[in-house]
Amino acid sequence: MSRSMQLKEEGNRHFQSGDFVSAEALYSKAIIADPKNPALYTNRAMARLKMSLWDSVITDCNQCLELAPDNMKAHYYLAQAYLALHDYDDALDHARRAHELCARTNDKSLAAVTAQVLRCKKERWEDMERRRRREGSELEIEVLALLERERDGVLRDMTDDGEKKEVEAEWEQKLESMRRVFEKARAAEERRRKVPDWAVDDISFQVMVDPVITKSGNSYERASIMEHLRRHPTDPLTREPLTAADLRPNLALKEACAEFLEENGWAADW
Amino acid sequence: MVANFASKRLGKELQKIQSSLPPGITLVSAENFEEWLLDIQVLDQNPLYQDQTYRLRFRFGSSYPIEPPEVTFVKKGDRSIPMHPHIYSNGIICLDLLGQQGWSPVQNVESVCMSIQSMLTGNNKNERPPGDEEFVRSNKQRPRDIDFYYHDNAV
Repeated sequence: MSRSMQLKEEGNRHFQSGDFVSAEALYSKAIIADPKNPALYTNRAMARLKMSLWDSVITDCNQCLELAPDNMKAHYYLAQAYLALHDYDDALDHARRAHELCARTNDKSLAAVTAQVLRCKKERWEDMERRRRREGSELEIEVLALLERERDGVLRDMTDDGEKKEVEAEWEQKLESMRRVFEKARAAEERRRKVPDWAVDDISFQVMVDPVITKSGNSYERASIMEHLRRHPTDPLTREPLTAADLRPNLALKEACAEFLEENGWAADW
Repeated sequence: MVANFASKRLGKELQKIQSSLPPGITLVSAENFEEWLLDIQVLDQNPLYQDQTYRLRFRFGSSYPIEPPEVTFVKKGDRSIPMHPHIYSNGIICLDLLGQQGWSPVQNVESVCMSIQSMLTGNNKNERPPGDEEFVRSNKQRPRDIDFYYHDNAV
């Protein structure tokens, strides 16, 4: 066995036992011994993920991708690192790329990678939602302040106390209706939280990311049905023989699910 | 397979079960994603099961729902094991959909309860499976590993 392989094996042993710091150091030595092996970079990235060294994870993965552009693990780790850094668009891009590669090679990690895609979608949506909410409440404060200024202007020119009270009450009502308008808008957001059945995979009960259709016309999440077919090559509903080669992507449903998640990121669980 | 595949799916099932269940099925406890207890009743006038409530225990492995749950009746307090030619007196149920071959990942806790409910509803024989005593005495296998011969799927 080459020197770099020995170091890698040793690193793997430390990684297995949970000693990520030593594992990382050994992978580094292995890289010095053989800087052209892409797997060494993803191994070190994996250790660095555990140590929350996000920027170093990104560097390692990019070096791996220069040597091996279709390395699934590099994309998968990049998705995790970017997500930790709140770079949601890059996280989702790499998660999608990892998913594509997994689906193409029937990789065992398909379920984990599918979950990562959903997680990226959910966190990206939550971030947008937070921003939208903040902007919404800023607008409310601004509009109410505007109304109050307007009221104070009117009151300034008045002398009669009785009249003043009347005008004050009138403005208080306006402010109250405005508050109600904002309140209503918020409540409507909360109410619309229902996941339509067509978007849900009958095996994992999650919103689908990559639906595939069977010969009997039912659609499932690719990762779920592949997991089932590994053990039983049958259609889950009809029990007729079914193999991976019989599955076709359901592109229209995929698009509909993506669109639904775009608007309802809360539905993307992990 | 991701380790939490089962718990995610069970979490979703639990949400649904807690908000609604078909008549005659009630959730007793679901404190974790390993074991749930549900009570079932037969709702028609079948004299064998009238006014009785039976308790089902579900045990889930980490590969649920790719692998079937282990479902048995349990005896506790006034919960007895229902008489049925496919239910052994130790609570083991001989039902094809609970076996490795008959199971499908689109089944769920609710659909299993309903299947068992209708298995009782349709029965009029006040008897145990043939060889019940011997089976109860000697069986050491887990229910799902037993290779039942599903000779009569009509019952």
